[in-house]
Amino acid sequence: MEPAARLDHNHQLSLGEFPYIIRWREDRCKRCGGCTAVCPVKAIEPAVKVVRTVSTEAPIPTPAVTKKIVHVVEQVTDIDRYCTGCGTCMLVCPNEAIEPEYNPHNKLLHFKNKGGDAYKRGGRRNDPSISTLDRLKFTRISMLTDPALDAGRHEFRIRTFLGRNLPPDSLPLETRDGRLVVKKDGVFVPPVREIYPIMIGSMSIGALSPPMWEGLAMGVTYLNEVENMPVVMCSGEGGMPPGLLKSRFLKYFILQIASGYFGWDEIIHALPHMVEDPCAIEIKYGQGAKPGDGGLLMSYKVLSLIASIRGVPMYVDLASPPTHQTKYSIEEAVAKMIQSMSMAWGFRVPVYPKISGSKTATSVLNNLARNPYAAALSIDGEDGGTGAAYNVSMDKMGHPIASNVRDCYLDLVRQGKQNELPLIASGGVGKKGNLASNAAALIMLGASAVSIGKYIMQAAADCLGDEYNRCNLCNTGRCPRGITTQDPRLYRRLDPDKVAERVVDVFKSADIELRKTFAPMGRSTELPIGMSDGLSINDKSMAERLNIDYAC
Amino acid sequence: MPAKDDKKLKVPDKKTKSKDNTLTIHVNINSSRVSSRILEERIQQAVENGARNLHVIADGQHGIGGRIWPRNEAVRISVEGPVGQRLGSMAMFGTEIVVDGSVSDDVGWINCGARITVLGDVTNGAHNAAAEGFLYVQGGGGARCDTMTKQNPRFDPPQSWYFRDVGDSFAEFKAGGIAVVCGVNPRNPENILGYRPCVGMVGGAIYFRGKIKGYSEINVKQLDLTPQDWEWLTVNMKPFLEAVGRNSFYDELTRSADEWKKLIAYTPAEKKTWKKLKMLTSDFSREIWEAEVGKGGIFAQYINHDRTILPYITIGVERRNKPVWNNEKYLPPCVYNCPTHIPTHKRASLIRQGKMKEALSLVLRYSPLPATVCGQICPNLCMHGCTRGLLDRPLNIKELGGMALKLPAPKPAQKTGRKVAVIGGGPAGLSVAWQLGLKGHGVDLYEAENRLGGKIELCIPRERLPHKILVKEISRFKEVGITAHLGKRINQKAFEKIYKGHDIVIVACGAHQPRRLTFPGSGDTIAAIDFLKGINSGKDFNLKGRNVVVIGAGNAGMDVASEAMNCGAASVTAVDIQKPAAFGIEMEMAKGKGVDISWPRFTEKYDKKAKKIYFKDGASLAADLVVMSVGEVPVLDFLPLSVHTEKGWIEVSEFGQTLDVKVFAIGDATSAGLVTHAIGQGRVAADVIHAQLMQYDYMPEVKQVVPYEKIRMEYYDLCSFEGFEPKKEAELCMSCATCRDCHMCEAACYHGAIKRVGHKDGSYEYIVDDDKCIGCGFCAGVCPCGVWEMVENI
Ligand code: SF4
Ligand code: SF4
Ligand code: SF4
Ligand code: SF4
Repeated sequence: MEPAARLDHNHQLSLGEFPYIIRWREDRCKRCGGCTAVCPVKAIEPAVKVVRTVSTEAPIPTPAVTKKIVHVVEQVTDIDRYCTGCGTCMLVCPNEAIEPEYNPHNKLLHFKNKGGDAYKRGGRRNDPSISTLDRLKFTRISMLTDPALDAGRHEFRIRTFLGRNLPPDSLPLETRDGRLVVKKDGVFVPPVREIYPIMIGSMSIGALSPPMWEGLAMGVTYLNEVENMPVVMCSGEGGMPPGLLKSRFLKYFILQIASGYFGWDEIIHALPHMVEDPCAIEIKYGQGAKPGDGGLLMSYKVLSLIASIRGVPMYVDLASPPTHQTKYSIEEAVAKMIQSMSMAWGFRVPVYPKISGSKTATSVLNNLARNPYAAALSIDGEDGGTGAAYNVSMDKMGHPIASNVRDCYLDLVRQGKQNELPLIASGGVGKKGNLASNAAALIMLGASAVSIGKYIMQAAADCLGDEYNRCNLCNTGRCPRGITTQDPRLYRRLDPDKVAERVVDVFKSADIELRKTFAPMGRSTELPIGMSDGLSINDKSMAERLNIDYAC
Repeated sequence: MPAKDDKKLKVPDKKTKSKDNTLTIHVNINSSRVSSRILEERIQQAVENGARNLHVIADGQHGIGGRIWPRNEAVRISVEGPVGQRLGSMAMFGTEIVVDGSVSDDVGWINCGARITVLGDVTNGAHNAAAEGFLYVQGGGGARCDTMTKQNPRFDPPQSWYFRDVGDSFAEFKAGGIAVVCGVNPRNPENILGYRPCVGMVGGAIYFRGKIKGYSEINVKQLDLTPQDWEWLTVNMKPFLEAVGRNSFYDELTRSADEWKKLIAYTPAEKKTWKKLKMLTSDFSREIWEAEVGKGGIFAQYINHDRTILPYITIGVERRNKPVWNNEKYLPPCVYNCPTHIPTHKRASLIRQGKMKEALSLVLRYSPLPATVCGQICPNLCMHGCTRGLLDRPLNIKELGGMALKLPAPKPAQKTGRKVAVIGGGPAGLSVAWQLGLKGHGVDLYEAENRLGGKIELCIPRERLPHKILVKEISRFKEVGITAHLGKRINQKAFEKIYKGHDIVIVACGAHQPRRLTFPGSGDTIAAIDFLKGINSGKDFNLKGRNVVVIGAGNAGMDVASEAMNCGAASVTAVDIQKPAAFGIEMEMAKGKGVDISWPRFTEKYDKKAKKIYFKDGASLAADLVVMSVGEVPVLDFLPLSVHTEKGWIEVSEFGQTLDVKVFAIGDATSAGLVTHAIGQGRVAADVIHAQLMQYDYMPEVKQVVPYEKIRMEYYDLCSFEGFEPKKEAELCMSCATCRDCHMCEAACYHGAIKRVGHKDGSYEYIVDDDKCIGCGFCAGVCPCGVWEMVENI
C-alpha cells in the first residue's frame, strides 16, 4: 500500500482511548505555560486552533463570519505520551484551568504495547476495589464483660518482637542455688528485637530518590530518638551510604540483601567500622507486586550516587535476577543465606527471608520453623508496590496477604509455634488510607508486624499514584513528586525534613489509632497477635476462609 | 462561703444545739442489719419529720446522706461505723456530713453542694464527678480521686481537701473545681499525687505540697502559686484544718507559698498554639541526624548540587526542557523535494518584503534554467511536497520559475585563475558550468552538437518546451564567461588533453546511446532518441495516416507518441511489459492526443513488410513505424581507466566525484534521472569542486525535511483567489522551518523571555533569556513555521 500522502486521522487514536482526558478551560487559562512545563510525560502541549463563527444579526439572513486564531493547551494522542492523570498540571496551574479526568472507558492496555514491548510501569496493582483488609471489622468490643481500656488514659505498649522467641522449655535457663539463671556456654540464644509493629518496608536507594530515602530514614530515626517509638525501616536492595552504616542509627535499620547483592561488598567493607548492629537482615526472595520477577534499575537512574553506594559503574542497567542463582532448593536457599548473614554479625542479628505472597508460603514457613536461625518470615501480598515491573506481573500475579498470612499463622498454631516465629505481613496495608486498622487486622489474623511502602510514599511525600493507574511513572525516572527519580531537578522538589515530619505524623497518629482499636478490645500490654475472635467480616465465604466470625 | 445562687438557708447554730435534738439511727435492729434501701428510707423520713441532726451508726450501707433537701435548713449528719460506697453521693447544699473514720469508694459522688468531712482516709474515686460542695479528708485518698469534677457556672466550684496524699490516676478528666493535697506525712514521700495524675484534665486547679513524679504533660502545667492563689489557700485552709481537727498544722502549711505548686489545665487556646512535634524535623536533621551521619546528610558526598528545594516551575539550568531557535535547521518540503534545492520559501519571503527583483534572481543562484525547467518541463517535485498542499493547494512554483525568464545572469565572482572543463552541454553540464563560472573559475564547455542544451534542446518536444524560452535562457551563459566549444565530440585523446589542461574535468556527457531490445525485426525499428532528435531538427518521418507503435511507455515514450500524433499518425500505441512508468504532463499530453497505451505486452517480432508487430500473447498491431523507447546509456569510450564505470554508468560519490579525484561526473552519465536531478547534481558538484579548487574542507550539509506537524497551518485562511499573482502567491507560503519574523513567539511568551535581536548586516535572531524562560514550549507550540524546538535541558 502506498502510505497516505496527506496528514489525516487514519490510525490516530482518539482521546476516548486514553485513560485520562485533560479538561482545559480556555476562559480561565492565561497561557503561562506552567502546565506544559511540568507535565512529566509531555502529554500536553501548546497548540494553535482556529475559532470560526458564522452569525447573523440582521432580520434577514446576513452572514457575518469571524475568525480567530487562538493559542491553547492541547492533549496529545500519542500513546507514548499518554496523560497519566498525575495532576501535576493541575497542581501548578495558577488559574485552575486544567485538570485530568479519569476515563473509565479507556483502552490503554489495548495500545500500550508499541514496538511489541509489553507495558511496564511502576506503582501498584490497578485494582481499586475494597481489599479484604478493608472489609475486616473489629467486633469484639469489651464493655462490661472485661475491662475496656481507655486509649488516652492507659499507657500502651504497642510493641512486637522481631526474632525467634524460644518456647519456655527451651529457654537456656537453669536453677542454681534456687535461683533462675541463664546458662552459660554452648547455648544459642536467638537475637530478638523489640520493635514497633508497623515498619517501613524495603525501598531501595535508587528506587527512591536521595531526599525521599533520607527523609524516611530521618523520620524513623526521629521516632526512635525523640518519640521513643522503635520504628524500623528496611534498606531495600542496593546498600546504604557509609555515613549511616557507621552511625549509631544503624540499629533502626534492616539491611536487605537480594539476588543482585548490590551494595553488599560496600556493607562488608563497612563492617569493621560499625558501632551498632543493624536491627535485622532481610533476605529478599520475592516481592508481592511482581512475584517471580527480578528487579531492574534502569541505567538512567544509575548515576554516581547509586553507582557508588551499590558498588557498580555508572549508566549500566542493574538487574536483580528473579531468583538467587546459587540456591537450588528451599532448604539450601534458606540454610545457606540465613547462615551467611547471621555469621556476618556473629549471630547477633535476626535474619529472615521475605517472599511474595503465594500458595507455597506455608512450605517456606515450615522450613523456617525447623531452622533455629530463622528469625521471622516476611510475606508480601499482591497489593504491594514496586518501582518498575510489567503490568501483567503487577495486575495479575500474586496472592492476597490476608488469607496467606492467616494460613501461615494457623499452621504455626497447629505446631504450637505461633509465638516463636514472627510473621511480617505487607502488601496493601493502608491501600485506602486505613493504615492502623489494616495493620491491626493483619496482626489479629496472625502477623507480628506489618510493613508499609506505598502508603508511606503517599502519606509522607504525596505520591500521586493510585489504583486507577494515576501517575505510576516510578519506572520512568520522571516522578513528578521527586520520590522515585534520580534527576535532581525533580527530586529537589522534595524536602527531606518535610518527609521526615510526615513520617513522624503518620506513626504518631497510627499509634493513636492502634490504641483506639486495641483498647476497646481490652488489649494493651500485649499485641493481640492472632486474636482473631476480635475480627469479623460481612462475607460468609471470606469468614470461613479466614476462620473468623461472620457479622452482618 | 456564701452560695452564689438564691439558696436561702437558715443554718442552725451548731453550738446551741443540745444533744437531745439529735436523732440516732441504728442500722442494726435486733442484730439484723438493715439494707441500704431501708436506711435511706428512714433517713429521708426522719428529715421529713423535722430532724436536723442525725447520727447514723452504719454497717456498710451505701449512699448514706445523699439527696436530702432540708427545705432551707441545714441538716447535719454524723456517721460512725463502717460505711459503704458513695457516702454523700448526690448530696445537696445544706447537708453536712461528718464521718468519724474512713470511708469506702466514691465518697461525694456528684456532690451537689454538701460539706463532707471524713475523719480518716477516703478510698478510690473520692469526689468523682463532684459539681459543688466540699470534701475534707483528714487522711489520704485512694486511686482516681477528684476525677471528672466540674464547675457549674451557677455555683461555686467544688473543693476537695486531702491532708496527706492521693493515689494513682488523680484528677483524670477534671473539668473544674479545686483540689488541695497538703502532703503531710505522705505514704510515698517521693510522690504525693500518685501515678500519672491529670490525664484528660481540662479545668480547675490542684494545689499540692510535696514531691510528685510526673503528670499528664499534654493536659496540665505545673506553676508556682500567685499571690491570689496563696491568699485563697491560706484563707480556706483554716476551715479545712478546723473540720479535720488539724488546726495545729496551720502554721506549717502556710509558712511559705514556695512549698506549694499548682497544676492547671492548658486552655484550648494554648493548645492551639502548640507545635505538633516535640522538635522540628529541620532542627532534628541538623542537630541529631547530621551530627551523627555527617554534614549534609548521608548523601552529601555523592551530590554536587545545592541542598535547596526547587519549585515545580523552574528557570535556567533547572528547567527540564529549553527552547532553541532552530531557524533553517530543517529544509522546507519544497526545497527538500527539489533535487536542485531551490529555496522557494526564501523567494516568497523576499516577495512579501517587496523585494521582487531579489526574489526572482535568487533562483539563478541555484539553476541556470529556471524558466525552462521549473517553468516548463519539470514535474515540480517541490510542489508535490509543499505543505500548503495539505491545506488547499501548493504554491505555484512553476509560474514562479517561469518569471525568471527575462532575468540577466548574476555577476560572476572575481576570477580565481582556476580552469575547469565540462564535457557535455546538456542540463548537467550547463548547471555545473554555470555554478563554477559564477564562482569565478574559467570554464571550458565541450559540446558534441552544434547547440547547447543536450536533450532539452534535442529531444524534448517543442510543444512542451517552447524553443524561444530555452534559447533565451541559454543566452545567459555568455554573461558568465563560459567558453563553449561546440561540435566537439571528445575521444580518448582529446580527453587526455583536456585532463592535462584543466584543474578539474566534469563529465556530463549524458546518455545518448539507445538501448535496444532484440527480437526478429528489431533492426527495423528506430530509437526514440533518434526519432525525437529528428523531429526537433525538422526531419519529416512521413507519418501522416500511418500507424505507429512505441515500445516502452515511459515519459520519453510518451513524448515520442505525442510527436508522432503531431506528425499526423493515424494511430499511436505505446506498449510496455509492465505498468507504464510515464507520469505527469507527458502522459497527459499523449493521452490527450489519442495515444493508446497497452500493457503488458511482450514483443515477439516486427514484420516490416507486413507492417505488423506481434506480441507473445498472439495479438498484433498494425505498425508502419516502430519506435523503441527503452532508454539510453552513456557513451563512455573516451574515459581513462582511472574513472571507474559500473555496468555502463560512471561510478560517483554522492557529490559526483569519480574514483579519479580530478574527475567528476554528473547527470545521465551516472544514472538516468530528471532534468532537475541533473541540474541539482551540477550544483552540488560545483560546490564540492569549488572547495577542492580553493582548498578548503567542505561537505555539503545534509538537512532533514521539516515534519509537516511542525507547521501551524491554522494561521492561514484557505486561499480564495484564482490565477497567478506573485504577491498573493507569496502570501500562501507558510515559510516552513524558516522564521518569518512574525513576533508570535515573542508575544506568546507569558514570561517575556523571548526577544528579537537585529544585527548590523540586516539579519536577526530571536533569543531566549534563560533566567526568565520556564521551558513551557509555548514558543514552539505557536510558531507558525516550526522554528522553535524544545530540547532536553542538559
Ligand atoms: S495530569 Fe500529569 S500527565 Fe496528564 S497532562 Fe497533567 S501533568 Fe501531564
Ligand atoms: S498552567 Fe494553567 S493558566 Fe498556565 S497555561 Fe497551563 S492551563 Fe493555562
Ligand atoms: S508520584 Fe512518583 S512514586 Fe508516586 S506513582 Fe508517581 S512516579 Fe511513582
Ligand atoms: S513565531 Fe514567528 S518570529 Fe517566532 S520563530 Fe516562529 S516564525 Fe519566527
